[in-house]
Amino acid sequence: MIAPGNEASAKRRPTKVNVRILRQDGPGLPAYWERHQVDYEPDMNVISVLQKVAAQAKTSDGLKVAPVAWDCGCLEEVCGSCTMVINGRVRQSCSALVDRLLEDDANEIELRPMTKFPVIRDLCIDRSRLFRSLERVKAWVPVDGYYDMGPGPRISREEQEQNYPLSQCMSCGCCLDACPQFTKIEIQRQPAETEADYTTRKNASFDDGFIGAHAISQAMLFNAHPVGKIMARERLDALTSAGGVQDCGNAQNCVAVCPKEIPLTTSIARAGRAATVYAIKKIFDR
Amino acid sequence: MSSPADPAPSQTFLQKNDFLIRRLHSLSGLIPVGAYMCVHLITNASLVGGVSVFQNNVFSIHSLPLLPVIEWSFIFLPLIFHAVAGIWIARSGKSNLQQYRWVGNRRYTWQRITGYIAFLFIFTHVFHLHGWFHNEWWLKTIAEPMGMAKFRPYNAVSSLASAMTGIAWPIFYAIGVLACTFHLANGIWTAGITWGVWLTPKSQRRASIACALFGLFIGSAGLSSLVAVKTTDAMEAAKIENAMYDARIHAHTITPDDHKRSDGHAVEKPKSELVK
Amino acid sequence: MGSNRVLVVGGGLAGLAATMKLAELGVAVDLLSLTPVKRSHSVCAQGGINSVSDMTRQEGDDEWKHFDDTIYGGDFLQNQPPVKEMTYWAPKVIDLMDRLGVTFNRTPEGFIDRRRFGGTLYKRTAFAGATTGQQLLYALDEQVRRRESEGLVKKYEFWDFLGPILDDNGRCVGATAQDMVTMQIRDFPADAVVVATGGNGLIYGRSTMSVFCTGSAASRCFQVGARMGNPEFIQVHPTAIPGADKLRLMSESARGEGGRVWVPRKANDSRYPKVIPENERYYFLEERFPKYGNLVPRDIATREIFNICVNEGLSVDPLRMSVYLDLTHIPRAELDRKLGGILEIYEKFQGVDPREEPMKIFPAVHYSMGGLWVNYEANADGGLLPGSPKNQATSVPGLYAIGECDYQYHGANRLGANSLLSCIFSGLFTGPGIVNWIKGNRVASDLPKSLYEKAVAVQEARHKKLLSNTAGDENPYLIHQELGDIMTRAATVVRDNKQLSESYAKICQLSDRASKCGLSDTGSWTNQNVIFTKAVQDMFPVAKCILKGALQRDESRGAHFKPAFSMPNLTATEPVAKRAEAEGWCDAFEANNKKFLKSTVCTWNGNEPDISYEDIDTRLLPPRPRLYGLVGAEVIEQVWKERSAVIAAKNPQSGKKQLTGTT
Repeated sequence: MIAPGNEASAKRRPTKVNVRILRQDGPGLPAYWERHQVDYEPDMNVISVLQKVAAQAKTSDGLKVAPVAWDCGCLEEVCGSCTMVINGRVRQSCSALVDRLLEDDANEIELRPMTKFPVIRDLCIDRSRLFRSLERVKAWVPVDGYYDMGPGPRISREEQEQNYPLSQCMSCGCCLDACPQFTKIEIQRQPAETEADYTTRKNASFDDGFIGAHAISQAMLFNAHPVGKIMARERLDALTSAGGVQDCGNAQNCVAVCPKEIPLTTSIARAGRAATVYAIKKIFDR
Repeated sequence: MSSPADPAPSQTFLQKNDFLIRRLHSLSGLIPVGAYMCVHLITNASLVGGVSVFQNNVFSIHSLPLLPVIEWSFIFLPLIFHAVAGIWIARSGKSNLQQYRWVGNRRYTWQRITGYIAFLFIFTHVFHLHGWFHNEWWLKTIAEPMGMAKFRPYNAVSSLASAMTGIAWPIFYAIGVLACTFHLANGIWTAGITWGVWLTPKSQRRASIACALFGLFIGSAGLSSLVAVKTTDAMEAAKIENAMYDARIHAHTITPDDHKRSDGHAVEKPKSELVK
Repeated sequence: MGSNRVLVVGGGLAGLAATMKLAELGVAVDLLSLTPVKRSHSVCAQGGINSVSDMTRQEGDDEWKHFDDTIYGGDFLQNQPPVKEMTYWAPKVIDLMDRLGVTFNRTPEGFIDRRRFGGTLYKRTAFAGATTGQQLLYALDEQVRRRESEGLVKKYEFWDFLGPILDDNGRCVGATAQDMVTMQIRDFPADAVVVATGGNGLIYGRSTMSVFCTGSAASRCFQVGARMGNPEFIQVHPTAIPGADKLRLMSESARGEGGRVWVPRKANDSRYPKVIPENERYYFLEERFPKYGNLVPRDIATREIFNICVNEGLSVDPLRMSVYLDLTHIPRAELDRKLGGILEIYEKFQGVDPREEPMKIFPAVHYSMGGLWVNYEANADGGLLPGSPKNQATSVPGLYAIGECDYQYHGANRLGANSLLSCIFSGLFTGPGIVNWIKGNRVASDLPKSLYEKAVAVQEARHKKLLSNTAGDENPYLIHQELGDIMTRAATVVRDNKQLSESYAKICQLSDRASKCGLSDTGSWTNQNVIFTKAVQDMFPVAKCILKGALQRDESRGAHFKPAFSMPNLTATEPVAKRAEAEGWCDAFEANNKKFLKSTVCTWNGNEPDISYEDIDTRLLPPRPRLYGLVGAEVIEQVWKERSAVIAAKNPQSGKKQLTGTT
């Protein structure tokens, strides 16, 4: 019943798991490494390790510390909350299985916060830029309203099969963290600044930065929708403004790290094509 | 809330024209810079076919009317734009190859490294063979005493052979040519995505193979000319060149121009041969 | 005069639907959520959303049958008008979601494809792969983002709702909440507050729910006076993947697409499942319920699986109780197209490809049918009166509850793919009612500041007290674990009065210990420790409701199963005796309904819940035995059918369609 491989690996099972966590007490404060040790259990993932770390709130040297802060939600890789850099690679911590990680390095698991977003505390990061990008490309279908107006447009199976993978994007930010063209923008609120002013200033600097694979892909998703298309020009304006699709450097890390295996590079190429056509049209339609 | 598409008034010139600059950068890399590079390397490779073939090609190029205008508008200015914009673009990203060692990421990083190499290489190469400016004073007092401005179009092979003596320059050229080749071949592939020619992973893989083959071809063309120039007898070459020169003067297809010929109408003779 | 504002708490399907509808109606909305709304627990819904379709209609289906299935599935514990309204709205809800760009799977011709789900005989369920909840949520998230960019909606993400603010007349005029980053506590004045905060699975420790489904928001409403309805009805989903941190759902759609549940007939059969021949496999659901097969309602499937493993000892894994859920007979391409999302989950977390090898699954806590008690106003047809401010209103005026955190739609057991419907429906439908409520009330922002300051001060005091309790030696994480263990043992599939009352006593003690929690983090920046501790403390009032509600309900109904008070099985073999036994069964059934066909209604007395019972509004459909064509129980259905015919003959006007639903 249990595959023979499992029994073999059972013998190698450790009793303890060591984790090295890059902590930071707040924005702008220095980051520092801290080691924790938790009891090993079969089928553990990084979330259950962090749960144990939080519960014991003690380093491996026995020093009492504040529990490590991190984000998580669904624990089954659909909500996008728990992204972090695990053994050097950005991914969801819920689907990072300890047994598999120990194959990389049996001594230790290394956890770091995402590198391209401002750290709030420990492994918690501020991903508001990511949602701002969705607003930037107007990633929605501009329906008249929410009254009953009958069914939507007929969609072929082929279109659905092209669009569904794109609509699985859970805004986890892996594609952005791995992108060499996407660089960190960290704006701190000034003491005298109102919340509204701060948000405006923050959004303005976000809007100048590279928009990233996820938003490009969402723009393509909505430009492919029969009604979403109405705003295609506005989306392409956004995609060809500063930090638009042209900033892509084709390293293709985005598609390699995407936990949902979304064809991001195809979306980028599509956006490139659409931008080409749009730019030429703009010259001649003037 | 302001519409994200409107460029904010606070945006700099570069931000406002981000799309245009990057697309022009991509375009200039293909045409004319990339195209010119192909012509250049293939012409160089014609040396494999013999001194007269190559010299003949050089004669044809130099028979083009308004050559400096062509050179500046189709080669140097686009090249300078491509280089400057390229450095700006390269500086806008930050390689993370240490963390993610995938092929695409390697190529991304190497595109930038080869870009820098190509920049230095071409800069030096144009100085080394052409002295940068055709100003008499500059050439005689600065460039030539430094051992630069070596190329003589009407003694193309022999002047090249003299420029390539030793081991350092050929190695420098080999590295430069290979860097340019990678940069162009990979650049064609990324341009295909940038402009939206190949969309899917499958077609991108096919394009990747095609670009690799193209790079192999151009790269070997470039290297073969280097090999050819190292294996050519400069004395013999000069004889052929001079004969061709005289024939053309005689036929009035070119006008005499000492600037395009080696001093004393021949290459410096190796000392051993002088003794003979 | 200030302008109207509504506070929506929770950004799942219900909260977002309400937000966008209110914004459409021109009302400014503050949307408060523990997490970026796009990450709400609705993303975990997999299988689909139910409605009658043009195709099922031609197979004899209609909205009434959807209504009937839902009521029958819920064992008649729902007030019927809201359910009727919901099922009649269902096609419109799907049309709207279709227009919003949800990538529903399509037929080759381009229509929305449908699949069959539990508790029905029709293929009503529209789906987007196996991530339908995610797709629906994203569509609503996009619309709310659109409204946000237009300026009518303001989102407060990473904010913890601390409780409603009531004025001197007991009207809800806003709420207090805490920024989970800066730890700032502030007031949100509002003319109405809508809680859409989902289920409370975390009370059970591990469940299929997301980590923020603590039920604390509903508990905080309950503790200031909102009533709680049917808390003891907790759905245990038959098919989940056991895990150390979470029990991951394996959607009913796996069975909807033809997945079969089985165990080897022989106990401890250690052969590789694919080599076990057909005749040595026990497809127990198909054999016992030939009509519905693997698609019996969840409570029944769960009990059967539980019974096979616990009582019959046929678990397929000696270490971890489980049965096979087998999809290996279905072509790979079809599986990937229709179930890709959930198969990937299994593959990722179990390391086994379920297209090649049967999955090992076991039941897990999944959904709270009960929740905040809400009102409704019926119209003449027995549906809801649109625009009535009573719809979805809790017992606290101005406080509304929608989605999983209300008790309204699913009775004693929820049918698969009805939850997405109830969330979106209640969110959309409640909008006009709230607008009408606001019209008749004084604007909250004009109320005295002191009212709000006082409420904030209370919350700040609680917060400070927790932080300063450094002497406390109770660890909130361990208390939560203990609570989860007790609840899982006492109040899931099988319930027993002795165990329930012992557990109740235990959690009373545990609750006292929880109030003495010492925090390992006493800082005031992103202090997850204190947020979690408050949530754990607030789990107890709800946990007490669940246990006390279960303890006092001496019957079996839907998900609430008490063997000691169950209807007996028929044992007679001889037809006449069997018939007599069935008559007796039906008499007992009627007597039990008189006693227990009632909603449990809890009120908080500051220390524990007081329980009363409220009659169910069965104006449209009289209760009937819920047997789902169980083999051996046909005679009960026969007897019941005859009795109903007699009643119908006596009062011909008592509902024209009463008898259509005898399935």
